[in-house]
Amino acid sequence: MSSEIIRIHNKLKSKEISCTEFVKGKLKELEESTSNSANFLLTESALKRAQAVDEKIANGAEIGLLEGIPFGIKDVFLLQGEFASAASDFLKSYISPYTATAIQKLIDAGAIPIVKENCDSFGHGSSSENTVFGPVKNALNEKLVAGGSSGGSAVNVAKGYTLFSVGGDTGGSIRQPAGYNKVYGMKPTYGRISRYGLMAYASSTDCVGPISNSVEDISTLLNVMSGKDYHDQTSLVSSPISENIFKRKNEAPKYKIGYYKNFLDSEAIDPKIKADFLKLIDQLKLNNIEVIELDFYDSGILVSTYYTIAMAETASNLARLDGTNYGNRLTAESLKESYSLTRSENFTDETKRRIIGGNQVLSQGHSEEIYLKARAIREKIEQSFIDEFQEVDIIISPVSPTPPPKIGDNLNDPLAMYLSDAYTVGFSLGGLPTLSAPFGTETGIQITAEKMGEEKILEFVIYLRDEIYG
Amino acid sequence: MTKLMTLDVLSSIKGAKSSDAVDELFKVIKNAHFDKNEKVFSKSTIINAVLLENLRDDEIIQSSQTEKELIKKNFPNEKNGFLVVSKVIDN
Repeated sequence: MSSEIIRIHNKLKSKEISCTEFVKGKLKELEESTSNSANFLLTESALKRAQAVDEKIANGAEIGLLEGIPFGIKDVFLLQGEFASAASDFLKSYISPYTATAIQKLIDAGAIPIVKENCDSFGHGSSSENTVFGPVKNALNEKLVAGGSSGGSAVNVAKGYTLFSVGGDTGGSIRQPAGYNKVYGMKPTYGRISRYGLMAYASSTDCVGPISNSVEDISTLLNVMSGKDYHDQTSLVSSPISENIFKRKNEAPKYKIGYYKNFLDSEAIDPKIKADFLKLIDQLKLNNIEVIELDFYDSGILVSTYYTIAMAETASNLARLDGTNYGNRLTAESLKESYSLTRSENFTDETKRRIIGGNQVLSQGHSEEIYLKARAIREKIEQSFIDEFQEVDIIISPVSPTPPPKIGDNLNDPLAMYLSDAYTVGFSLGGLPTLSAPFGTETGIQITAEKMGEEKILEFVIYLRDEIYG
Repeated sequence: MTKLMTLDVLSSIKGAKSSDAVDELFKVIKNAHFDKNEKVFSKSTIINAVLLENLRDDEIIQSSQTEKELIKKNFPNEKNGFLVVSKVIDN
């Protein structure tokens, strides 16, 4: 599918549709949806912004590409004056005091936020079932999970309720739900997009990224949201993605491709996903593209390293939630009792499991043999990526080892949920840019490049879309 | 003197106990073969953090009036125009 943004932009410009009516239509679709993908509709502000766009067009003024384009925001981002619940009881009534940098950039470009989207509470999950707003239902089959944690965002894009959505990805939270709902989802290089205004889960891997129906729109959105931000010192200066990648003779066939053999040798991989992925490898070779096998860390090590670090960081980040300055507060006999009661009653079971796990590995006696060791392993993983990208341009893999489970199936088996992140967490630990594309296997193909290699990824995905799956 | 703190105190969560699923993950790390003395990275490989020499100085930035009002609005309790802090002082 080519750019949805350009298609609607042209319709608005030619007055074929009015922005107000278009936005109203999307809000109605969200309101009537049974997917549980929307936490809060931003009706009043969205219609006001849409009316302003209509007036501008009526006055004969030019509009920018994103002006009047409705989009969704995962409910872990701040948007001034609107709710930001993190899909939790704790922050169900919390109102954002300011706006996240990435969201502000989209608003400055004229895009219209219409919905705060359902997700796993504080990003803690891979299915969007860990939410107080009800489990998000898969866009293609309502009996299946939407994936997570940005499940509501992926479903809204897949259903066409939003033209694009902004998600957060810590260990696969954009890529996996994008794969489960057959849309594109990009986790950029760590730091390419500011994290300011995104509620922190694991700060050293948290990333902001777009979910959309086309590669062209992913490119546009990356360019709008990227850049160094005063408020986020880990943000980086980056070069924009060139429009030429959509026009020039594709460079992708010259790229050397790598894939991890041990991902495919795993007993956990679904046979159909494995067969479809190997078919892609064969097809690339038939097209004279050089493809090589790579050895990588065992999935168990990747998942355990990621969760050890993520739990330690979330335990620290969520320590601020005690009902003192904001969020729901429950009072008890003493201050410590109040903290304890507030946190016990307002966090979900999965969030508590991660906080407790984090404090466990940070505590005396455990930090050396678990947390510090996990950090050292992470550094080795980062070094492996640097070495591997000396040898290849792109690494491809399935997005997930298995298809989406039924709603409820993994709720009582957290370990199974953690292991479903086996193919995405490694790239998060490396801070690498990686995109999931909606073809190749039942849950898509994941395409990864070295840091700041987003342009290469997009070039290669265009090649796959047009030449292999076109 | 070492003061041992239990998980429920560390986490401020009543009845906090380690979970089997999470312990399984930690076991993998404990058992992983890893040479502690192996030097694995240089400064150039760390980019998910800010190097000390690149940190900017702390600055005080005034919040906008709207932001200040929203911060107050989010405060859990208010009585007679005052924000009510929980029983902090007596502890």
